[in-house]
Amino acid sequence: MWAGVGEKIYSLDLRLVLGAFCPWESAANKIKMIVKIENVYKAYNKTPVIREMSLDIGKGERVVILGPSGCGKTTLLRMIAGLIHPDKGKLVIDGQTVADNGKCIIGPESRQVGMVFQDLALWPHMTSYKNIEFGLKVQKIPKTEIRERIDTIFEKVQMVQFRNAYPGDLSGGQQQRIALARALVTRPKILLMDEPLSSLDTDLRHVLMREILRLQEELAITMIYVTHDREEAFSLATRIVVMKEEKIQKTRTAGQIKEWL
Amino acid sequence: MAKRLTLYITIFLFVGIGIVPVIVMFLKSLFVDGGFSLENYGTLLQSNREWTLLFNTLVLAGATTFITVLLGVPLGTLFSKTDLPFRRLFAVLFIIPLIIPSYILAVAWFYCMGRSGIVAGVLGETAGIVTSKFLFGFGGTLFVMVSALLPIVIILTMTYLRMVNQEMEEAGRLYSSWPVVLKKITLPLISPGIALGALITFILTLGEFGVPSFLRFDVYSVESFTRFSAFYDFDSATAAAVPLGIITIIVLIIERFFLRMKKFVSRAMGSEKKMAIVSLGKYKSYFLIGVSVLVSVLVVVPLCVLLYKSLSPSAYVEAFVRSTGSIMRSLLYASIGASCLVVFGFFLGYILDRKALRLSYVADSIAVFLFALPGAVIGIGLSNLWNTPGANFIYASIPIIIFGYIAQYTALGERIMAATFPHVLRSMEEAAQIAGAGWYRRVFKVLVPLVKRGMIATWLICFVFCLRDVGITMMVYPPAHDTLPVRTFTLMANSPDNVISALCMIMIMITLLPLCGLGLVRKYIA
Repeated sequence: MWAGVGEKIYSLDLRLVLGAFCPWESAANKIKMIVKIENVYKAYNKTPVIREMSLDIGKGERVVILGPSGCGKTTLLRMIAGLIHPDKGKLVIDGQTVADNGKCIIGPESRQVGMVFQDLALWPHMTSYKNIEFGLKVQKIPKTEIRERIDTIFEKVQMVQFRNAYPGDLSGGQQQRIALARALVTRPKILLMDEPLSSLDTDLRHVLMREILRLQEELAITMIYVTHDREEAFSLATRIVVMKEEKIQKTRTAGQIKEWL
Repeated sequence: MAKRLTLYITIFLFVGIGIVPVIVMFLKSLFVDGGFSLENYGTLLQSNREWTLLFNTLVLAGATTFITVLLGVPLGTLFSKTDLPFRRLFAVLFIIPLIIPSYILAVAWFYCMGRSGIVAGVLGETAGIVTSKFLFGFGGTLFVMVSALLPIVIILTMTYLRMVNQEMEEAGRLYSSWPVVLKKITLPLISPGIALGALITFILTLGEFGVPSFLRFDVYSVESFTRFSAFYDFDSATAAAVPLGIITIIVLIIERFFLRMKKFVSRAMGSEKKMAIVSLGKYKSYFLIGVSVLVSVLVVVPLCVLLYKSLSPSAYVEAFVRSTGSIMRSLLYASIGASCLVVFGFFLGYILDRKALRLSYVADSIAVFLFALPGAVIGIGLSNLWNTPGANFIYASIPIIIFGYIAQYTALGERIMAATFPHVLRSMEEAAQIAGAGWYRRVFKVLVPLVKRGMIATWLICFVFCLRDVGITMMVYPPAHDTLPVRTFTLMANSPDNVISALCMIMIMITLLPLCGLGLVRKYIA
């Protein structure tokens, strides 16, 4: 499926591909940048997984990074989170340089990002409540506020009745909501999502995509979403970044890409 | 039909060799002069000494478990999750005590801390008296047991850490630093592994005979052995062994109902994702010094003492003269034992993994119970059952020792093979079946080639355990059939230190030899 899409996308007019015509750029200049990636390079055992990549992401955007497996999109997300560090280049989050030329300046715990992992990574020895509470407790937020925030987030993800359930007792969709709640409860500046819906069936995926959109709009949070699924990308994105062979191939609004296809 | 028959025969053979002697021994202890009587147990309960023994046994096992977990978990974490320099070398060094008989460590410490040991030679006689007092008693026994069993907790911690889903730790890293993530997420996730390490340490200490016997600390396994070998009192020895059996059963019940419920989501071994490594940063040198000191005290010093004590060609010549037969027998019996254990492990592991028979959990429970039971108890059971004129061909020859190995160590083979079989899809076997292959053809042409690495691992691990065994062999070995650990143990009372040290070094070398061999041929069997 991807190969077909790829062929269509990559055969677009070179002017568009290389950014000679890029309406986003002008719009981007007007809004506040929250993530700035400058000439970032990352290799594992001398094999590059990200090559000289630059990307700016504005506040409140829903950026979807779209690409086939192994193109480096998850690596990019993990670099923004601070779980790995670029070998070269610079990474700026909300005006602060967090990583510069192989040096981690600000660790993941201080970057104020929330992340939903591909296999959700809910801690099986903790209840849903404890899973969500963890980040707040670590930040030493007062108990009453913790309770309030957790109550609110449980309502937002419609999981009030599952407060004391362990992840193992929840269905895939319910686990997904708890993972989302855990990522959002600390009020991060950026929400990172690494193919979080890939293991769900189509119906549930549609339901959850609507939920994610609703929550992102309600909370006005910047979202960076990684997927290899075209449909997910078009449904969620305000901007799509297409990656191939460890590089950004193009950056377009969802509307533009639909139009071209 | 052939499949069911083979599997049933394996179970019945194992039950006959392993558990029947223990049951018969227990039943016999209930009869005095041909009539049913609880006299043996009455005597046991009324004696103050028995309560002291019970207390000593439990306190030693509890304290050993506590300290090994306290040291083993941080060490395992340092070796597998951090950038500590030389961590692989440290891990190998810490594991050495596990593959040698634990009493060898006691011997080494005796040469070091005994009244006329190295410490006394350097610091004077008074210092020797103080260190000797510490060594011969609870403190010394505890110290040696900790150094002998620490590798179990280290290995299990490292293994379980490798199985933790990296994303769970990363999810925690988004909110907090590594120390908090390790404490709140990683350690709870590997708690089943830590609990398993604690359980194994507890039951192995419970059944340890060599160290407390050498360091003269009274525990049940030594008492049972003494009653059997010194007084030849079967019933009394059995009665003394029963409390150990009961404690073992209680511990295993805890394992069944508590530990097995705690199964956390984890990734499979060999997962492509690398484990997240924690940088020790500015604390690296402190950890390096701490670990170096610990490995020196627990492993390097005793090994160096043995080497130093044995450093004369005449000592090795005499050691070889006195024990050539024992060395050859040790290698032969351990090889036969390991081969039998691979066969039992293969079929019982298959039964357990594929739930091929209804009896799968029964066989597994028996195997685990026998593994946990002190070797001395199994030895008494075997002697009790087979010491009849009609069964002399077993009792007075190699089979009694091999039976002992099968009884005690089948659980090892069974569990390793049961962990290997899931890598062979059922459909592979079914495809051969549909193609018309019978059970034995499927076993030899499909299963064995696919699980050969597991079988080699089983053989090597069982070989090491058989080779270092003292508890069972000491109880059952027929005249002129002693193995090297038994020979060394019996020679200790009346042989020069340098010969005993040389024997210990030979023991260490012949244990390490097959493991080094494996390292050399590993790429060919991969």
